[in-house]
Amino acid sequence: MIPLELYILLASLMFSIGLYGLVTQKNGVKLMMCIELLLNSANINLVAFSANQPNVNGQVFALFSIALAAAEAGVGFAIMISLYRLYGTIDLDNVNSMRW
Amino acid sequence: MYADYAYLIVALPVLAFLLCLFVGWHLPRGGGFLTVLATFSGLILSLGIFSEIYPEGIVHQSMHWFGPLNVGILIDPLALVMLLMVTAVVTLIHTYANGYMNGDPGAARYFSEAALFTAAMLGLIYADNLLQLFIFWELVGLCSYLLIGFWYRKPSAAAAAKKAFLTTRVGDVLFLAGIIVLYNNMASLNLALKPGEYLLQFPVIYAHLAEIPPAQLTLIALGLLGGAVGKSGQFPLHVWLPDAMEGPTTVSAMIHAATMVTAGVYLVARMFPLFYAAPYGLTAVAAVGAFTALFAATMGLTAFDIKRVLAFSTVSQLGFMMTGLGVGAAVGATAVGVSMFHLIGHSFFKALLFLCAGSVIHAVNTNDLREMGGVGKYMKWTMYTMLIGSLSLAGFPLFTGFYSKDEIIKIAYEYGTVINFLPYIFLVVAAILTAIYTFRMWFSVFTGKERSDYGKHESPMIMIGPLAILAVFAFGFGLAAQGGFYNYLDSNFDHYGVDFEQLSSIGGHEILGEHGAVAEGEHGAAAEGEHAAGEGEAAAGEAEGEPWYIEILPIIVAIGGILTAGLFYWDKIKKFDPSQVTGDNDPIRRMLLKGYYQHEIFTGWFAETVVYGTALICNTIDIKLVDGWLNWLSAWVMGFAQNVRKVQTGVVQNYITALVLGVVVLVVVIALATEVGLV
Repeated sequence: MIPLELYILLASLMFSIGLYGLVTQKNGVKLMMCIELLLNSANINLVAFSANQPNVNGQVFALFSIALAAAEAGVGFAIMISLYRLYGTIDLDNVNSMRW
Repeated sequence: MYADYAYLIVALPVLAFLLCLFVGWHLPRGGGFLTVLATFSGLILSLGIFSEIYPEGIVHQSMHWFGPLNVGILIDPLALVMLLMVTAVVTLIHTYANGYMNGDPGAARYFSEAALFTAAMLGLIYADNLLQLFIFWELVGLCSYLLIGFWYRKPSAAAAAKKAFLTTRVGDVLFLAGIIVLYNNMASLNLALKPGEYLLQFPVIYAHLAEIPPAQLTLIALGLLGGAVGKSGQFPLHVWLPDAMEGPTTVSAMIHAATMVTAGVYLVARMFPLFYAAPYGLTAVAAVGAFTALFAATMGLTAFDIKRVLAFSTVSQLGFMMTGLGVGAAVGATAVGVSMFHLIGHSFFKALLFLCAGSVIHAVNTNDLREMGGVGKYMKWTMYTMLIGSLSLAGFPLFTGFYSKDEIIKIAYEYGTVINFLPYIFLVVAAILTAIYTFRMWFSVFTGKERSDYGKHESPMIMIGPLAILAVFAFGFGLAAQGGFYNYLDSNFDHYGVDFEQLSSIGGHEILGEHGAVAEGEHGAAAEGEHAAGEGEAAAGEAEGEPWYIEILPIIVAIGGILTAGLFYWDKIKKFDPSQVTGDNDPIRRMLLKGYYQHEIFTGWFAETVVYGTALICNTIDIKLVDGWLNWLSAWVMGFAQNVRKVQTGVVQNYITALVLGVVVLVVVIALATEVGLV
């Protein structure tokens, strides 16, 4: 059996990569991908702890979270598409018409 | 029975006001008949009440309003004579106005405002508490503003209305302050009020005067006097009265005779026990009154606008009334009767004089004495009725003014024997001047040659009728009413059990116990022998050791004054010289004509230099200093904010970065703290 620490390490790595991408990237789609990474690192944690101490609640919660992530992705990409139609780009630095 | 409908005396004119205001346009003559009808009904009701309660009763109805205050109706002898006078005189003035205002496009507005004016004055008279009196008092002020500025397109009328409103407002503020001080004092007594008794109700005030500290009483008295000075046009708030001539003449007649300026005197009479109890209260009243009487009379000598002459005479006569009340310090409550007698008599002959002047102006179309002359040839009725009014004002024997003014001068003398002769001297000189300026006016209007091309016709019957009725009163009132009137009014404060001896000890008057009794007995004698009043009083005077000239002097003064006026202004003796009226080359005349340069001093010097200079300094301080540092502060805050708001980039990534960094810092700090052992 794979020890719990490895799962947590994986999840931490994924979270850090996602956070790094979220802070540095300008491309909207890349940002969405980073958010997916953040979410899924959390899912890994949920499932890992659930399996470790036999309790199915965590896995049920992970399923909810995946469903949510799917919905979020749907809305997010819809926004990106309409941004692209409006501005011709999904570089978020250019989307600043309501800024001071 | 009539007393149950006392509220109608005010309600009917209010109804007439509403009707004229909203449907007056569709009625003939602007609905003026409604106003006449309403006030005439008031007269009938007042007469009914008079017949019911004379000579002993009073009417007092009141209901709770809010807190310790109430609304109510109080008709005692003092209020009743005022009610009768106001309704009678105003009915005649309204009737006359139906002719005078005929054809004026604003007639409906005039009659509605006049009705409200009447209602306000009547409400003021029979209010049973000071607050209600004050409300109607303000309403009178408002109506006077509306009516003086009736021809509001004329700039001078608009200015005069504003002046009247603002000047009386100065007094009103003092009046209100007096009421507040009185209220505080009454409230702090923690009175156990019986049902139906309220704070500020006149009987309650009278009953508890002795418990209020004397210094507070003086403060209250001075406040109320301020109100009276403003309303009754006493020095130094008299400036609005001559200017108030800009309104229609009927308005002047109403203001001067019945509905406005008498309110101030009435207030002092109504609060007489308070003034009596307050140290220096009556002294102040007498001082203001006596000075005004003389001061205004001198200005009346040179005015060449017929209505201004009458206006100055009103100010002067109001001064007589005030003095009459003020010298009550020596003669007690008798002063109220004497002063009110002059007030009522004055309102008859002053209304008559104003309406006569209006009749002349209506025909001649000018106010200027210099452009009249010889009007008597064309206006016989006006001339003779005005002669009666003038004789009465001048105090010619047997006319109303003779009895009333004589009586005031006499009690002023009694005041002189115990306290100070100044009021007496002032009044006697003012009386001479009164006779002179009155007949100067009469001679220059009705005698001599026509000095300009004016309309030559008598006024219509609707105007002459009231003149004739008023002339009867102006002649006969004094003769017929004097004895009974004094007896009736002397009992006024007995209804409330006012103890004047106790109050006089508070006020610190050198009250003449025996002398006062003699003074009252004197009026008793006058009541018995109406025609022989003069003799009876003379006898009483001799018994007291008064010099013989006290009785004769008023007669000499009146006749002497008339003769002097004739000497200078009767055409048969001396040709009329217009330059004499203006007196351009005579410094004293010019000073009087300019009203002692009050306008120059107040508007020219005081307003231009002192007020304007002060305003300039205040303005600079305000803009540079008060506003300055505030503006600097707000500008600094604005600039700071302009820079700081850049922190909010609107880029979510910056926020996330900050967030993460913050978390990291937090974690590090907590870890370090745990390591050191702080947490």
